[in-house]
Amino acid sequence: MAKIERAQKLFLDSLKEKFQGQDPEAVNTTYYRFGGLAQSPRKQEFIKASKAAEMARGMDMYEPVRCHLGGIPLGQRQLMTYQVSQSGVYVEGDDLHFVNNAAMQQFWDEIRRTVIVGMDLAHQTLQKRLGKEVTPETINEYLHVLNHAMPGAAVVQEHMVETHPGVVDDCYVKVFTGDDAIADDIEPQFLLNIDKLFPAEQGAALKAAVGKGLWQAIHIPTIVSRTCDGGTTSRWSAMQIGMSYIGAYRMCAGEAAVADLSYAAKHAGVIQMASILPARRARGPNEPGGIKFGLFSDIIQANRKYPKDPARASLEVVGAGTMLFDQIWLGSYMSGGVGFTQYATAAYTDNILDEYTYYGMDYVKDKYGVDWANPAVGDRVKASQEVVNDLATEVTLNAMEQYEQFPTMMEDHFGGSQRAGVIAAASGLTCSIGTGNSNAGLNGWYLSMLLHKEGWSRLGFFGYDLQDQCGSANSLAIRPDEGLIGELRGPNYPNYAMNVGHQGEYAAIVGGAHYGRGDAFCYDPRVAVCFADPSLKFDMAEPRREFAKGAIREFNPAGERSLIIPAR
Amino acid sequence: MAYTPQYGPGTSVIAENRRKQMNPNNKLEKVRDVTDEDVVLILGHRAPGAAYPTAHPPLAEAGEPDCPIRKIVTPTEGAKAGDRVRYIQFTDSMFNAPSQPYQRTYTYCYRFRGIDPGTLSGRQIVECRERDLEGYSKFLMETEMFDSARCSVRGATVHGHSLRLAEDGMMFDMLQRCLLMGDGNVKYVKNQIGEPLDREVNVGKPMDEAWLKAHSTIFHSLVGVPYRDDQEYVEYVQRIHSLRTKYGFMPKE
Repeated sequence: MAKIERAQKLFLDSLKEKFQGQDPEAVNTTYYRFGGLAQSPRKQEFIKASKAAEMARGMDMYEPVRCHLGGIPLGQRQLMTYQVSQSGVYVEGDDLHFVNNAAMQQFWDEIRRTVIVGMDLAHQTLQKRLGKEVTPETINEYLHVLNHAMPGAAVVQEHMVETHPGVVDDCYVKVFTGDDAIADDIEPQFLLNIDKLFPAEQGAALKAAVGKGLWQAIHIPTIVSRTCDGGTTSRWSAMQIGMSYIGAYRMCAGEAAVADLSYAAKHAGVIQMASILPARRARGPNEPGGIKFGLFSDIIQANRKYPKDPARASLEVVGAGTMLFDQIWLGSYMSGGVGFTQYATAAYTDNILDEYTYYGMDYVKDKYGVDWANPAVGDRVKASQEVVNDLATEVTLNAMEQYEQFPTMMEDHFGGSQRAGVIAAASGLTCSIGTGNSNAGLNGWYLSMLLHKEGWSRLGFFGYDLQDQCGSANSLAIRPDEGLIGELRGPNYPNYAMNVGHQGEYAAIVGGAHYGRGDAFCYDPRVAVCFADPSLKFDMAEPRREFAKGAIREFNPAGERSLIIPAR
Repeated sequence: MAYTPQYGPGTSVIAENRRKQMNPNNKLEKVRDVTDEDVVLILGHRAPGAAYPTAHPPLAEAGEPDCPIRKIVTPTEGAKAGDRVRYIQFTDSMFNAPSQPYQRTYTYCYRFRGIDPGTLSGRQIVECRERDLEGYSKFLMETEMFDSARCSVRGATVHGHSLRLAEDGMMFDMLQRCLLMGDGNVKYVKNQIGEPLDREVNVGKPMDEAWLKAHSTIFHSLVGVPYRDDQEYVEYVQRIHSLRTKYGFMPKE
């Protein structure tokens, strides 16, 4: 342990904005005189909206003064605003609940409505089984047909119902390949051009990994996946793919070879964003609980935009991951209610985790000479137990001291689960970025939890007793009976399935290992290419900024029903 | 070979205080008087003087089966009588409250019988038979494990543990269950779940900062002892972690 000096305090601006006119380092303050809900414009808006709803429906609704804790409304202390980290945008906490934030909804929609489907199997069927010619011209014609059909238009039958293009305008298909010659023959409107989308080194690595295959990045209509579920995506996609092949290649609609195309599109050639979950979780593919952490880190594109800042890239994964895995997956799919948002937002607001993580970056550079701002495999420090212990201990102690030295920051993260997740995340990220090893990062996380628990004699809620006090035994030491490498773990990994404030951070720790090495992808190069698409409604390179836009109501989502409902 | 508990590592006063609380052979200092009736009022489970509600008949009347475990384990008084299980929950300020959540759980496990503790970040609950609970609660409020300003008995809303202190040094409590009165004493005006009491319950004067610092069981670099300064403690946690990590490989030290 050798504390380093770091003059910059990234969280200070937020503390000064949140607690205006107060000394962020003071121990005492005043309470019980803030006027309760009156201090929050958003709560006042809620009251007004509720009144209107009550008049319309003839039934009481939002009654915070009567119903909250026997007549004591929220707001006996200051109701804080939050800066979405590194966005400069301050929002009310309510605006970060996914129900109130269209960007958060769209983020999840983008993933759930996506599958990647290979074309090579279908082309083999067409060429070898049916003797049809497949050329750049036929492929482009097929893509025209597919982009007509995928949103829900007819291609074969006469007198069919179709979907309104204005309601499904977010639906399309593009293709990508690692083969320059093939890519050159694809109409630019349909091509995900790896050379243009990625920095040169990343692009070259991705093309080499993708190879000569041709892949379709498919995004079905948001409104379809919302009305149905993630399991629908591959089915909707496969149906439209099959019909498009029939139409584009003049096949018989009922011939047996169609089954080959269907099988390829539904099973043999499809990449789901998430695997199916066991019966007790009862979710199909493309639902959050089945997303592997490595794959999630490929969905988030901050590493493409900030290749020289693996900390920033990882922190964007934290923000996106805590929103999806804590707020939506655990908070609603698995549990219900609204409390998870308060936990999750701590990791991507007020630059607190950011400050702790950059402290770790400075430390690993100072002590081990790891030039974190120039990611490379060669200069990572070896992932030994001693190194992990040193990095995680120092980052944890520094974070605890910052909370202690700035009591307003402790008040900002007033729940132990918030603090535990944030401190352990900074520790884990430092270990993974510093070593280039995801399981070293996870191991650093667990040491941080133990240190935190003993230092403050408290940690998070009950669940942390299990997950965080047995995690040492399933990280860094890999044996078949102990677990998977981080890339292959996911929200439904044993012991991971119950705790808020973990899964998004785990995903980031996994991503950080690769961002620190300068890798172009973490788990699947095809996923990394698919979500680099600038046509997506949600910019996967800036999830926190997008969430901030959603919070201030400047984000335009897809799947709106205004075209098919009365004007309001 | 008889096991001799060591009650945790560390060379700091924090570590020493933790060991003192945990060690049942160490008599904790009594620093205030809280009457039996006052304890019952703060808990809010039954009216003072009311009979203990029961979950089952007294064990002596229950006709228990012949069971070797029952012969080994002597029931507590509450269990003998068939009392229902109730709780007390403490919130402890991170500004040098004399006990803290895990510290409470460790201590209770060494000192009490028949308990079911639960440990969170802002609160620590223990559930047990009601008459046992009242005895334990009295001990917990009268001894050096309690300070009237930095510890409080709360069934809900516990975020005060991490918040700044109020101007009068009291820990924030949304429900203001207890207040620092003009006479310098802290008095409960509501029970632990926030129901108004018919009369105030006095839990005494807050301890001064020097006493709190000397009796603290939490590391704190601003108002107490920095964790970093207790190197033995930190290294011990690292050792535990390393052994757990390597356990599948049968590590040898």
